[in-house]
Amino acid sequence: MSGDKMEVEIAEEKMKGMEHSEQHYFKSYDHHGIHEEMLKDEVRTRSYMNAIVQNKHIFKDKVVLDVGCGTAILSMFAAKAGAKHVIGVDMSTIIFKAREIVEANGLSDKITLLQGKMEEVELPFPKVDIIISEWMGYFLLYESMLDTVLYARDTYLEKDGLIFPDKATIFFAGIEDGEYKDEKIGFWNDVYGFDYTPLKSTALSEPLVDTVDVKAVVTNPTPVLTLDLYTCTVADLAFNVNFQLDVKRDDFIHALVSWFDIDFTACHKPIRFSTGPHTKYTHWKQTVFYFEDVLTVQEGEHVQLNLDVRPNSKNRRDLDIRIAYDLEAQDPTRLAKGSSEYRMC
Amino acid sequence: MSLHNDSEGSDEGEWLDVEHEEEETVAITSFFDAQTFPTVVAMLDHCKEHHAFDFAACLKRLGLDFHGAVKLINYVRDRVKQGLSLPAEISLGDFEDERFLRPVLENDALIFSLDEVLETIQGSGADPETKDASPDSLSARNTELEEELEKVRGQFANYRLAVEQTLDRRWGDEADAAPTQKKDDSAYYFESYAAHEIHETMLKDAVRTDAYRDFIYGNKHIFKDKVVLDIGCGTGILSMFCAKAGAKQVIAVDKSDIITKARENVFNNGLSNVITLLRGAIEDVQLPVDKVDIIVSEWMGYCLLYEAMLPSVLYARDKYLKPDGLLAPSSATIWIAPVADSEYVSDHISYWRDVYGFDMKSMQEGIYNEARVEAMPESSVCGEAFPFKVLDLHTIKTSDLQFTAKWSSKLTRKVDGVDGFLIWFDNFFATSRSEPVPAPETTPTTWDKTAQGGVAFTTGPYGTVTHWRQGLLIAPPEETPVMTASPASLSGEITFEAPEDNARALVLKTSWTDPEGHTRNQSWQLK
Repeated sequence: MSGDKMEVEIAEEKMKGMEHSEQHYFKSYDHHGIHEEMLKDEVRTRSYMNAIVQNKHIFKDKVVLDVGCGTAILSMFAAKAGAKHVIGVDMSTIIFKAREIVEANGLSDKITLLQGKMEEVELPFPKVDIIISEWMGYFLLYESMLDTVLYARDTYLEKDGLIFPDKATIFFAGIEDGEYKDEKIGFWNDVYGFDYTPLKSTALSEPLVDTVDVKAVVTNPTPVLTLDLYTCTVADLAFNVNFQLDVKRDDFIHALVSWFDIDFTACHKPIRFSTGPHTKYTHWKQTVFYFEDVLTVQEGEHVQLNLDVRPNSKNRRDLDIRIAYDLEAQDPTRLAKGSSEYRMC
Repeated sequence: MSLHNDSEGSDEGEWLDVEHEEEETVAITSFFDAQTFPTVVAMLDHCKEHHAFDFAACLKRLGLDFHGAVKLINYVRDRVKQGLSLPAEISLGDFEDERFLRPVLENDALIFSLDEVLETIQGSGADPETKDASPDSLSARNTELEEELEKVRGQFANYRLAVEQTLDRRWGDEADAAPTQKKDDSAYYFESYAAHEIHETMLKDAVRTDAYRDFIYGNKHIFKDKVVLDIGCGTGILSMFCAKAGAKQVIAVDKSDIITKARENVFNNGLSNVITLLRGAIEDVQLPVDKVDIIVSEWMGYCLLYEAMLPSVLYARDKYLKPDGLLAPSSATIWIAPVADSEYVSDHISYWRDVYGFDMKSMQEGIYNEARVEAMPESSVCGEAFPFKVLDLHTIKTSDLQFTAKWSSKLTRKVDGVDGFLIWFDNFFATSRSEPVPAPETTPTTWDKTAQGGVAFTTGPYGTVTHWRQGLLIAPPEETPVMTASPASLSGEITFEAPEDNARALVLKTSWTDPEGHTRNQSWQLK
């Protein structure tokens, strides 16, 4: 264990030299709580387990790379599925726990765990057959590790290699959320009798990560971005897209809700899970973007939207998001047009 | 204050809500009469036209900076107040005296808008009317001005402080203290939301905020005309309660970025004339007064003393509080109770034995040495609660915050062994320091507070959950679990101490002797 202790110290020393924000990003994952939460997210962990363990014919005798391995649960699934060797890479010091876990499960000869940045570690194999990774962040892209996965793909994946998962889709829908909007945004209008509006604009500009009741959804869900992990590039993570939401009932729209679906299409029988409001809870919940104004909508109407998402130029881990909306209504008094800017940070 | 975030950030204006500026009615008083004007330009035009005094030209001629301009303003106002006329040509020597830093008009809106004036004069040298008036440049200009205004507010607060405390000090030092230094952008962005969410959580903790409100509003006679110090003011809520309750002056101190929001809140609520906001640690800032009548602070951390600001409050108490002054809250009691909750243990401790078929027990390392913060149900408590420490905040010393105390508890139900201990605190707000501190076993429910106007609240498992929740100390299972039946009891000694390597963390230790006579020891760290 003393060898590991040394490595922990070296790793911590390394982190001291990092940008504060970057360091926090890695360090926040050292805390056990987040790993407990992720492991206990059954939708997430079980989907990966099924995608790997139910496809032993795909994993048998393959070299597998687990990008951002955390407690090494996916690496162990891959080892159980018959992989020849699994390499787990993680920047966080949780990897030293992962080593103990792998050892306790008698898989040390099958799994090599490397602490460091993907760009810096030296893999024991020049190429890998399969990349597995749970890289998704809130709103799919916030603090996500996708750029690291793409780097690993371009550097290490065999030509006909596979990626688990290999497809991700972001969806949007309009929601009626008056009560909660009032609680989160309206709250600042009157705090114990005082005007607190300086905090209101911040509240409006921060997308809210929370669970949304499916009954609140008043439009059809629309996919706005589909990432094919075999072909997409880092440049695709900044995007601008027009889309339309069709109103399903007479109601109000206070906000848009966003979520994502994840596909493992390489499986014998494709596996998919969703983080949307219509299905089981995941730790990603959903992401809500409040509008300053309220749209009054009628069944059959359409809202035209433009979505712009890009990493902040100063801090790449933050996302700058802009949403422009235009409600086409018969009744001129209900016409509504506007735009809002958000930052996830 | 449990989620207190005191990290440094930036003061740049990207996130400031400035929309309200347009709705505010500013009243700028003329130099020569009681007339007020909505803009500086209108006021200065009036003075130029009707009183033949061209302030802008004078500023320019004398090449005055912010502080020079402040002195000029006060010099002119002072002359007018005394009924004296202005010299034909004002010279620098006329107002070199430091006393002209003292505002003649309280909350002089002209001084508030001064940066704007200076900007205009020093800018192109042209009149504002002849400036490029395309919509784009105007809106960019508008943004600039709004940012300037916020900066000036900061300067103004510092300026007022400097004036009030001493006129001997050189202005150069004070100008450096204005919050204009550039800071690391990434750190700022990272913290911006966290900072707000914390304050939202605290404000929405009604047990906490209601208690302060009820105490302050319910005892207006105590606050009326008093000088109050608010330590760790956050968004300024307690300061505003005190101002509304009639305090003569409230000095609010916080070292976190949030104070810029507090300043806006105070201004928007028209309380700038009562509340002075100072950014910095209480140990570093210089108060505009020697002594205060009341110190209000929400300093409590997890398990009361974690990351606590209490030493800062005690420092301020000793330095600034009058001998008969009041601290709110005035005392706190810390409690311990044994817990037995097999469901919690299996969800969070035993869980690691089998995670999707894998042994992850190594994740349990240190699990019995980490204090947890959880809102535990009343039903998890398996014995009587014991009040092991009363802190009389008027008299305790910093050294009293590390202590060892005896406790004992009679089990109230039959359990298969005790899983650990729960720690919580009650806070009492007495209306006078001469009032006796509530006896240890007194709870907010049993305290006879209605007579005295006091207020109290609990963070324990028998009350509404607060953002402090409770401290949960999980003990390793006994090797041979004993069936423990009431009226068996436990007793032991509990220690609170700060670890050597991290003064902000908290180490809790307890020994206990179970009904079988086995003595055990365990220590937990909250970090």
